[in-house]
Amino acid sequence: MFSWLEKNPFFFAVGVFIVIAFAGLVEIVPDFAQQSRPVAGAKPYDLLKLAGRNVYIKDSCNACHSQLIRPFKSETDRYGMYSLNGEYAYDRPFLWGSKRTGPDLHRVGNYRTSDWHANHMWDPISVVPGSIMPAYKHMFTNETDLETAYAEAVTVKKVFNVPYDKDIDGDGKIDVPLGSFEEAKERALKEALKVAEETKREDLVQMVKSGKIPEIVALIAYLNGLK
Amino acid sequence: MNWLSDNVNQLALLGAAAILILTIGVTWKYFKQIKEGKSEGELKEENWDGIGEYKNNSPVGWSLAFIGTMIWGIWYWFFGYPLDAYSQIGEYNEEVKAYQARFESKWANPTKEDLLGMGEGVYLVQCSPCHGIDGTGIEGKAQDLTKRFINKEQVLSVIEHGSAALGDKVMDGQGQLGYPMGEMPPGLLSGADAVAVAEYVANGFKGNDKGAELYQSACASCHGPDGTGMDGMAPNLKEYDDKLIAAVLEHGKVGIIGTMPSFKGRLTKVQEKAVATYIRSLSE
Repeated sequence: MFSWLEKNPFFFAVGVFIVIAFAGLVEIVPDFAQQSRPVAGAKPYDLLKLAGRNVYIKDSCNACHSQLIRPFKSETDRYGMYSLNGEYAYDRPFLWGSKRTGPDLHRVGNYRTSDWHANHMWDPISVVPGSIMPAYKHMFTNETDLETAYAEAVTVKKVFNVPYDKDIDGDGKIDVPLGSFEEAKERALKEALKVAEETKREDLVQMVKSGKIPEIVALIAYLNGLK
Repeated sequence: MNWLSDNVNQLALLGAAAILILTIGVTWKYFKQIKEGKSEGELKEENWDGIGEYKNNSPVGWSLAFIGTMIWGIWYWFFGYPLDAYSQIGEYNEEVKAYQARFESKWANPTKEDLLGMGEGVYLVQCSPCHGIDGTGIEGKAQDLTKRFINKEQVLSVIEHGSAALGDKVMDGQGQLGYPMGEMPPGLLSGADAVAVAEYVANGFKGNDKGAELYQSACASCHGPDGTGMDGMAPNLKEYDDKLIAAVLEHGKVGIIGTMPSFKGRLTKVQEKAVATYIRSLSE
């Protein structure tokens, strides 16, 4: 049989393809399994959080902070429940990271508050003595790019069918509304004002009230949503 | 020759000797074959420009190993792996279970020193980012745990807003911390009366006579005449007792300073007690 294959290069190529494709199937098929579906309660990022996520990527937070809690007692003690595949369903791209110069942030919303983040990002050593994290003061004045975040949300909604403007959990209400850019921006400003007030910084509150969202507010909204 | 008494060393020595003898033997055999060996056996029919090939059957041992590997592969693929698959989460669950059992037996009856040590460790990891390494609350960013409890502004704020109304936390009338007495309603006192009680309570239940009188009529029915909360019916206003720390850790807290997140499920009962012991030691 094999000598016949050697004399028929076309069928030999088909055989080689099947053998190699099998290895591919082993790696690809599990990704479609149930455990990779969004976990119950997983929701896509709203506009403000998505913009905050873009700030997170832009300032390379993922170079020092991971977002993946491994199933070891030492990690779950410090960071909380280990991460599940389905929790990353709406992460494009995922931000698992590969190096922990700083701590893991996958559930940071459970144990830090808006004002803590603001203090920490303004001057890390003021709350964590000995911290080597740099200050991110430019985030307090830079304006968040909502347009790009909105374009991203609309794109994933249309191309990947991400459930914006849909009732995900079946309670008859729309879970993550998006709508037109004006509607989404108004909603983002409302949420941003709440976060800005929680930070207890008057400059941030004033900036949001004037219709601009500082990057730090979007980033904190994103971090608070990591649970 | 002391090292030879160890049987692992003996085994290693034996192995080294075997490898040496085998190497010498095999080398000798091949050198001999190169020198004296003659080609023998039956030639195959094909030849390429006069260069032929002997008919060599594959060695029996090799063939058996090859077939054995295929059989094992089929068994492993269809039976062995699916039935006896390694599970990382399973290993994690066992690790946690074994650790909890060890933890509980080791700290079944901790002494005060044990609790202080454990409490300091837990505090530094979980609490110090907001309350500060020294417990002073980092210049008002969080509750100052080194001082004797609540200050005047905090008491006034709770009297004005009630215990559940700060922030948007709704606890079904349970109050923020889930004490049996339930939610403290807003506006029990106002104006100068509230200030008097606030001064009295913040001063460690002394000083302001008018405040003391008003406290007994307005607050004592839940928080107790001495302010210790009637054995856990309502929050203790005098010191950080175990129940208060456990309740704040479980429910989190919204107050005039800001929001403390809930640490529910992150600490064991012994650890909560240890943190309470450590926090009390800060104000001593």
